[in-house]
Formats: sequence, structure tokens, C-alpha cells
Amino acid sequence: MEERKGMAQILAIIPGLAVMVGTLYLLRTFVEPWMKDAVVFGQKGWLVQVLSLNYILLSIIAGIIYRNVFFGGKIPDWAEAGFRTTRLFIKSGVIMLGCLYTLQKLAKVGGIAITLISVFVFGTVLFVIWYGKRIGMERSMVGVMAAACGVCGVSAAVATSPGVKAKPSEVALAIATILGFGIMTMFISPFIGKALSMSDYQFGAWVGTGILNSGQVLATCLAFNPTFAPGTAVAYGEIWNVVRVISIPFVVFIVTTWACKAEAAESCATGADKMSLGKVFKDRFPVFVLGFFGMTALSSLGWLGAEGSNTLHLIRDVMSWIFGIGLVGQGAYIDFRELKTAGGKPLKVGLVAGTLKYVVALLVIMFFVSKDASF
Amino acid sequence: MRILLALDDSAQAMDAAVRLASERGAGLTALFVLDTGWSVYIGSDFLLGSHARGDFLEYTRDDEYSQEHKALAEIKKRAQVAGVACEVKTVASRHIADEIIKEAAQGYDLLVMAAPFRRGLEVMRDAPSAILKAAPCDVLFVRGGE
Amino acid sequence: MSKGKMTVFKTDRHEDMAAMVFVSLVTVAVLLYMAYIVPNITITPTQDGKLVALKVAPDQEIKKGDLLYTFEYKDKKFVDGKLEEKLATKDVKASTNGKVLSVDVKEGDTLKKGKTKMLVLDHEKGTLP
Repeated sequence: MEERKGMAQILAIIPGLAVMVGTLYLLRTFVEPWMKDAVVFGQKGWLVQVLSLNYILLSIIAGIIYRNVFFGGKIPDWAEAGFRTTRLFIKSGVIMLGCLYTLQKLAKVGGIAITLISVFVFGTVLFVIWYGKRIGMERSMVGVMAAACGVCGVSAAVATSPGVKAKPSEVALAIATILGFGIMTMFISPFIGKALSMSDYQFGAWVGTGILNSGQVLATCLAFNPTFAPGTAVAYGEIWNVVRVISIPFVVFIVTTWACKAEAAESCATGADKMSLGKVFKDRFPVFVLGFFGMTALSSLGWLGAEGSNTLHLIRDVMSWIFGIGLVGQGAYIDFRELKTAGGKPLKVGLVAGTLKYVVALLVIMFFVSKDASF
Repeated sequence: MRILLALDDSAQAMDAAVRLASERGAGLTALFVLDTGWSVYIGSDFLLGSHARGDFLEYTRDDEYSQEHKALAEIKKRAQVAGVACEVKTVASRHIADEIIKEAAQGYDLLVMAAPFRRGLEVMRDAPSAILKAAPCDVLFVRGGE
Repeated sequence: MSKGKMTVFKTDRHEDMAAMVFVSLVTVAVLLYMAYIVPNITITPTQDGKLVALKVAPDQEIKKGDLLYTFEYKDKKFVDGKLEEKLATKDVKASTNGKVLSVDVKEGDTLKKGKTKMLVLDHEKGTLP
């Protein structure tokens, strides 16, 4: 983490970025077409049809391989600055996803999303608080796990920890648990979705409600159906994701207030920097989500071309490249060595709460949400 | 003879290093590695809004500093009680094990450290096995009390 | 020596802004390209199906909203949790004013989503095809 200035800082990005772009290019131009025709176990296209491998999963897997095999578990210094741009790419991709909707459509599905998510967020938070207390977890860590399992996984854990004064080494374990669980669900959810012949709408709603780590919702939806168009899994999953992201500040506020109410109140954020919802919102709100709504507004006005037009098609094509580049980077941040050591009480809570949420969400979606999408 | 002690929160490792140094009349150097790896550890998360990342990194940084103060004060106290001269060093890195190996290669005869090694994000990794593979000198692993 | 190295950006807002600026630039670039630079556009089907009526011929001038072709496709819909398939037809209209450069299909042809090259159109500069 040397400090670089100006030009040098930008140049430092190039090697890592080149690896990400180059990998995606090779995957999309050579590997994916090859997989479609490759004969494995006597079946043409087995890799695609049975393993549901597509360029999205391949990009993540490529990233994981770089980190865990070629780089020996570390992100080397030459690639670090470049790989860090993964955030920028995924954020850009999320913003561009706004072009899949019009405001009316958002309003239509948004209601269901908000209802489902609020129920599940508070259900999970209450469950974790109850369960965490039962197994005698420290109050600050209960807070972190409640926020993490409730809304957005790692992001919520990170956003809550300083406020509740959780021990960083414990937070590290919590993060490993959530990431590990998220990666597992990312790879198995598409199989479950296909086995139950879920519609794109159901899959998006399920994954958006049930997956612990929001960072993995989009990747999971894309693994199920790699097409960027209205009515695909990612189009629905994204609405859920946006609602979750917006709810982070609320959950952080509630959980921190709860965690600080107790006897250890003086160690929490009190006095001068007393918590207020407004302040939490200002400090914790991811501003790029506004860009998403901006994109939706543009598309509602028809400034991005009509639905089905070549212009919109090109925009979505560009978007799929931006996501793909970002996902190679995301994979490179997955270190199996770190995930393996996840343990202790955070693992217990994360596993129980995560599985419960995942399964209950699946049941609710299968029984109460029709396969037929509302748009 | 020169002994290098890789510091974490283990009192047992400190005691072992101080005892060895006083028994053999060896020079003792205590190395504390500040972990700068947190920004990489949470580096892929794109949903952290506004100051969430910054606040967290500051929070972990403050925690690193307080661990440093605690560990250094602790080892100095123990060395003083035993009448051993102890030099302390602090470096910052996101590869703690590498940093320890690098320092150990500077002409030390023995490296003393706790196993499991609980320094920064090394709790997530396995510093002892990495060090065992690449150690340039003898190594003494001290079992923790917990 | 170590203290300076641990500084980080205090905020992620600059990154969020960068993402928004990046997306704006990309979007503007795509729009400008499609409106002014792209030499001609190839119309491909949005769904698999069969071409039932073709309403344009080479060198024909078209107006926005003119019917280009009609195709038949299997409409898959979930009704009461069951996947129902029925044949449906859909009209495809011109999204901008322009001219037909070439027609590469004939009535009765099967259409492959995104694959079959159907029409090549020229479009009026400044409009989004």
C-alpha cells in the first residue's frame, strides 16, 4: 500500500486491469463458444447444460484460480491497484442495470420486494439476537451478525462494527463466514432453481431475499440466466438488491441502537457523536444507487432508445462486459485459506441464520409468489 | 546469539523468548507487524456506502495501534523484570508472515512465535505453516494458553 | 515510518461519483455512436420464431412506426403456475426514419433470436435505431 500520486497511481492500475479485461475477453471469445460445442460424457454442451457454466461464473472462477492457485493466496502488489477497480466496474454495472426498467415497472415490483425484504430483514435480525444470546455471543458481535445476516452480509457487518465496537479479529471471522456461505449459495442456487423449474421472476425474488451477501445476489442471478434484458433473473434480483442496499442504514441504526442500549453503553458511540438516523444515513448510504434510478428515469423517458431497439441492445452488451470485468476481480478477492478458518460463534450463527433464511425464502417464494411475473 | 520474537497477544511466547534470552545471554529483538491488509480483506465489497469503508478501516487501524502499544509495553515490562535488553521494531505490511521471514533473515539464530499466531488478519491464515516452510533460522513455536 | 502508510480514503463517495461519470460517458458514447456514426444497422429477431409477413423491399424509404415484418413465435407464459405455450404473432415496426438497404430473409423463414440477419437499414442521422 505505498502511496502513489497522480499519474503513477493511474499507471499502477493498468497491470491488474489488463489481467481482468484480458481474461474476460478470452473467456467470451474462445472458452464460451468452445463449451457450447464441447462433448463431455458423450453429451454435446454438457458443460453449459448440466453445469450451467457461463461467462459470468467462468469470470468469477478465473479470478478465484488466479488468487488461490497462481498467486499463492495473495493478491500480488502489482495487481492490487488494478483488481481494486472491481468495485468501480460492478458499481457501474449496477447503475447501468437501471436501463432494464421503467419507473412504472419498478413501482410495480418494488412493493413486493419491499414487503418481502422488510419481513425477512427483521425476522432475521430478531432471530440472530435471540440465537446469539442463547449461545452466549458477545453483544457487539451479536449486533454485527444481526446486521450481516439481516441485510447485506459483509457490507452490513463492516458498516456496523465501528459503531458497536466489535473486535476486528472477530469481525474478520464473521466476514469469512458470510463470504463462504455466499459463495456456496452462489454456486448451488442455479441448480436448485433449475431443478425446481423456477421462473426468472421467482429465482430473482428468492435469491434477492434469501442470499446473505448482497454482493453475490447479482452474480447468482446471472449464473442462473446470463442475459441482460427485462424479465430475466438479474432484472428482478436487482430490484431486490437495490431495496436491500437502501435498507442498510436503517438496519445499522437499529442494530447499533440495540447493541449500545445495554450495560456497556459507555463504550459505544454515545455523547458527542450520538447516533441519529440522519447521520447514519449520510455516512452509510451508497450514493451510486442514485445513478441506478437516474438510468431508470432516462429509460422511462425513452432517451436510451425504444425497448428492443439496437441502441438499447448495445448498451446492455456493454453492460455485460463491464460486469464481467468486475466479476473477475471479485473472484480474485476470494481466498479459500481465509474461508477455511471461519469458525467459532460467528460461524454457528451465520450458518444457522443463513440456512434458515435461504430455505424459508425458498418456501415462501415457491408457495406464495407466482411464476408469472408482474412485468 | 540473537533471538527474534514475533509479537502477537500471546504472553506465553513473550515469556519463552525472554527466558531463552536470559538463559543464553542472547540479544532479543521483538517485532510487531501492523496489519495493513484490511483494505484488501474487504476490498471487493462494492455496497459500502459513503464513509462505511473509511470508518471501518480507521477503526481497525486504531485497533492495530492499540494492540501494538499493548504488546510493546508488555514485552518491555517482561524484559525489564528479567533483566534482558530488548530492542523493539514495528513494521506495517499486509503480508505479516513475509515480513517476519524477511526480518528473521537478518542474521538471527532463533525465531520465537506463538502458534496459532494471532496477529491482525493472520488469525484467518496460517502464519506458522508459511514460516515453517521458508524460515531462514531455527523456529520455536509456543503453544497459546487459550 | 509505519503511520503514513496506513492512511486510506475516508470516503467512497468519490468512487460512486466516478462510477456515475463513467456510466454517463459510456452511455453518451453509445448513443452518439448509434445516432451518428454507425454506418447501418442490422435487424435481428428478438425471439426465435417464423417470419409470416415481410412488408419492406430493398431501397424502400421507411418512416418511424412503419410495419417492417410480422413473425410468429411460441409465447411461453406461466398461467396458474403452469408453463403454457401458444403460438402468437408480433409486429415489428421501424423505430426511426430511414431506408432499407437490403433484405436477407423471405416469408416462411425460421428466425433465430439474435442470429438471423434479417434487414439492413440506414437511419436518419440523429435518431436512435
